[in-house]
Amino acid sequence: MKKNASKAPAGKTKQECPGALNPVRRAVAALLCALMILSLSSCWSRRELNTLAIVLATAVDEGKESGELKVTTQIVSPGEIKSGPSSSGSSASKKAYANIDNTDKSVISALDGFTHITNRKMYFSHNRILIFSREVAQKGILEDLDAFTRNYETRMNVYLLISKDKAADILDEEIELEQMPANHIAEMLEAQHSNSETAIITLLDFDIAFLSGSTAPVAPMIEMYEIDGKKKARLEGTAVFKQGKMIGELNVAQTRGLMWATGKAERATITIDTKDGKVDLLIIHAKGSMKPVKAEDGTFRIRLKVYAEGDIESNETGKDMSSVENTEMLQEQVEEFIRAEIESTLKHAKTLSADVFGFGEAIRRDYPKDWEKIKENWDSEFSGLKTDMEIDVKIASSGEMGKPVVQGGAE
Amino acid sequence: MKLEKGSISGRALIFAVFCFMQGTMLRSAFIVVVTKNDSWAMAFTGLLGSLLLTAIYAALLRRFQEKNLFEINELVFGPVVGKVFSVLYLFFFLSLAALNTHDIGDFVVGYMMQETPLAAIILLFVLICVYAVRKGIANIVRLSTVLCIIAMSAVLINTVLMLNEIQPGFIKPLFQLPLGKYVQGTITVAALPMGEVLAFTMIAPMLGKNKKAGKMMAYGLVLAAVFLGIVLLRDILVLGPMAGVFRLPSYESVRYVKLAGILTRMESLYAVVLIILYVFKVSILLYACVLGLAQLVNFKSYQPLTLICGALVFFYSLFVYKSVMEHADWGATVAPIFSLTFELVLPSAALVAVSIKKTIRLRET
Repeated sequence: MKKNASKAPAGKTKQECPGALNPVRRAVAALLCALMILSLSSCWSRRELNTLAIVLATAVDEGKESGELKVTTQIVSPGEIKSGPSSSGSSASKKAYANIDNTDKSVISALDGFTHITNRKMYFSHNRILIFSREVAQKGILEDLDAFTRNYETRMNVYLLISKDKAADILDEEIELEQMPANHIAEMLEAQHSNSETAIITLLDFDIAFLSGSTAPVAPMIEMYEIDGKKKARLEGTAVFKQGKMIGELNVAQTRGLMWATGKAERATITIDTKDGKVDLLIIHAKGSMKPVKAEDGTFRIRLKVYAEGDIESNETGKDMSSVENTEMLQEQVEEFIRAEIESTLKHAKTLSADVFGFGEAIRRDYPKDWEKIKENWDSEFSGLKTDMEIDVKIASSGEMGKPVVQGGAE
Repeated sequence: MKLEKGSISGRALIFAVFCFMQGTMLRSAFIVVVTKNDSWAMAFTGLLGSLLLTAIYAALLRRFQEKNLFEINELVFGPVVGKVFSVLYLFFFLSLAALNTHDIGDFVVGYMMQETPLAAIILLFVLICVYAVRKGIANIVRLSTVLCIIAMSAVLINTVLMLNEIQPGFIKPLFQLPLGKYVQGTITVAALPMGEVLAFTMIAPMLGKNKKAGKMMAYGLVLAAVFLGIVLLRDILVLGPMAGVFRLPSYESVRYVKLAGILTRMESLYAVVLIILYVFKVSILLYACVLGLAQLVNFKSYQPLTLICGALVFFYSLFVYKSVMEHADWGATVAPIFSLTFELVLPSAALVAVSIKKTIRLRET
C-alpha cells in the first residue's frame, strides 16, 4: 500500500510538468553527464598523433650473431612531408622519414627494444610492406609472421617482400618522385598489374597458401641496383617457400608463367620475333583457370586454360600485320610464347618439387576423397603430374592504325 | 497484476529477434572452428533446429494467453515447483546477459582499447542497458526497426565492398567433414545464438495476442539465419582457411576491405554497429531477468530491481571467464549443452506437463 502511495505523486508530477526535475534528479543527471564526458574523452590510454611513430614499413634482417634478428622500421616524420614534388631547394632539407633499427632474439623483443631508443610508440596500423631478407627467409619466416598476424594493430593486407640482400637497405633507397620508400614500394607493387611479372602477395595470401599444406607459398623479391651513383630498389622475380622456408626462386618470365596459370595475370606486353622483325602486343584482358581431370586409372591431369585478349602495340616489321593471315600468325606466336612461359615455370617448380600453382589444392577441392590418398606423397605425385594446356589468344585490334607507316605506303 | 507496460507490434518483434541474433556474428568463430568452409550451411540447419525450439515456446504461449514464461511456470507446475523452474530460468537469463556483456567487453578491450580495464567498459555498457530497461522495454523493441536497417545495411555494404576480394574456390570441397561435425555445428548454431530467442517469451505478452508470437519469432529467426549465412559465406570466401584461425573472422574480413585506396579501414563502423546490437541484446536479457525476478518475489513494479540486476550482471560478467581461450573452449564444447538444458529440456517439460494435465481434465469431464 505504501509503495502505491509513494508512486502515485511521482507519476502525477511527471504528467503535470515533464521537463522539470527535482534537485536529486538534477544532481544525478549532472553526475551522469560528467561521467559521460570523462568516458567519451577516452583518455585512459590516449595516444595523440604527435606521440605516435607511424610505421610504414618493416624490414627483418639477420643480426650479427646467429639467432638474432635485426628489425628496421620506417617511420613517418610528419613535419617533413611536403605537398608537391621536391623542388631543387629542398634537396638539402631532411628526409620525410626515419629508419630505426634494433637487434634482438625475436621480432617482438626487437620491437620492444625500440622503447629504449625512441620516445614515440610504434603504431603498426599503417604498415604497408614487410620485407624479409633472403637469409632470414631461408631459415623460415613463419615464426616471425605469427607476430604480425596475431597483433591487433597490424593488418592482413600488408605486402610481403623478400629482399635479395639486406632488407634494411631497401628502406634506404634513394627515390625522386615519392618522399617515402615504403610508399614507393607499396605503390610500385600495386602497379604490377600492368605487367603481370610480379606476384602481389599480402600477408593473408601467404598465410592461406601455407595453411593449404600442399601449395608452396610465394612472395615477390626485391633487390637494390645502382644507377648514376644512386641506390634504387627494383622488383625482380619470386621467392618460393616450402615448410615456411625459402627454397628457391622464379625468374621474371617464370613468375609470369605462374601468373598466367593461376589466373592472376591481367595485363602484359609481349614481344614477338617474326621473320620480318619485332611486333609488340599488349595483352589487356587475361583469364586463367585450372581444373583437375581424373583419368580412368585414377591418376590426375591438370587442365590449364588461358585466355588472353590484346592489341598490337607496335609494329617494327614494316609489313601489314593487320591482315587476317598475319593476325592469325601473331596469335599463334603469342600462344606459343605463353605456353613456353608456363612450361618453364612448371619445369622449375618440379625441380624444386614445390607446388607453386596450387594444383594439389585444386584436386583437394574437386576430388576430396582421392586427395586423402595422394596427399601423403604429393611431392612425388607433383613431379610426375601431367598438364594439358589450352591457350587461346585473340588479337582484337591493331591500335590506331592498320598498316604501318612506311615509305611509299600511300601508293 | 500486470508488470509490463506498453505494447509492441508484430513487425517490431520480428526485427527485435533479428537484432538480438545479429550481435552474435561476433561469435561466429565458434562455428567456423568446427565446420570450417561449410559453416555457412550451419546457419540454415541451425535455423531448422531453432524453429523446433520456437515451436515449443509458441505452443506454450498459445495455451496461456497474455502470460509470460514465469507466469506459465507457476500455472503449470504450481507455486512451489513453478518457482524452482523460474529460478533456473532466471539463472539462465542472468548468465546469458553476463556472457554477452563479457563478450562485448572483450571485443572492445581486445581490438580497440587494450589498456583500458574491462570493468570500466562493462560498467558503462551495463549502465546504458539499465537505463534502457528502466525507460521501458517496449521503446527498445520499437527501436529495433531502425537498428535492423542499420545492421542489415552494414552487412550488405561490407559484403559488396568485399566482392573484389572473394575467391569462390574457398567454398570447395563441399561437405567432406565427418557427420558428427555437422551435428555439432548445427547444435551450436541452434542453441547458442538462435535458441536464446527464449528470452522473447518474456516480451511476447506485450503483443496482446500470444498466438502471433511464435510466428513472429520464426520470421525473425529466418531473417537472422539468412544474414548469418551471408556473413559466414563472405568470411569463408574472403579468408579461406584463415577464417578458422582468426578469433573474429567477420571483423578480420571487414578489415581487409580496400577499395581504390579510399574505402579502407571500415572496421570501426562495423564495431559501432556491433556494440549497438549488443546493447539491444543485453537490454532484452536484462529485462527478462528483472521482470522474472519481480514476479518471483511478487513486486508491484520491476523498475526498482533494474539497477540491482544490472549490478549482478556487472559483477557476474567480470568473473564469468578467466581468459578468451577459456571462453572459446566453453563456447565450442559445454555451452550448447548448458543452453539446451534451459532452451529445450525445461520448456519441453512444461509442455508435457500441460498436455498431461489437459488429458486428465478431459477424462474427468
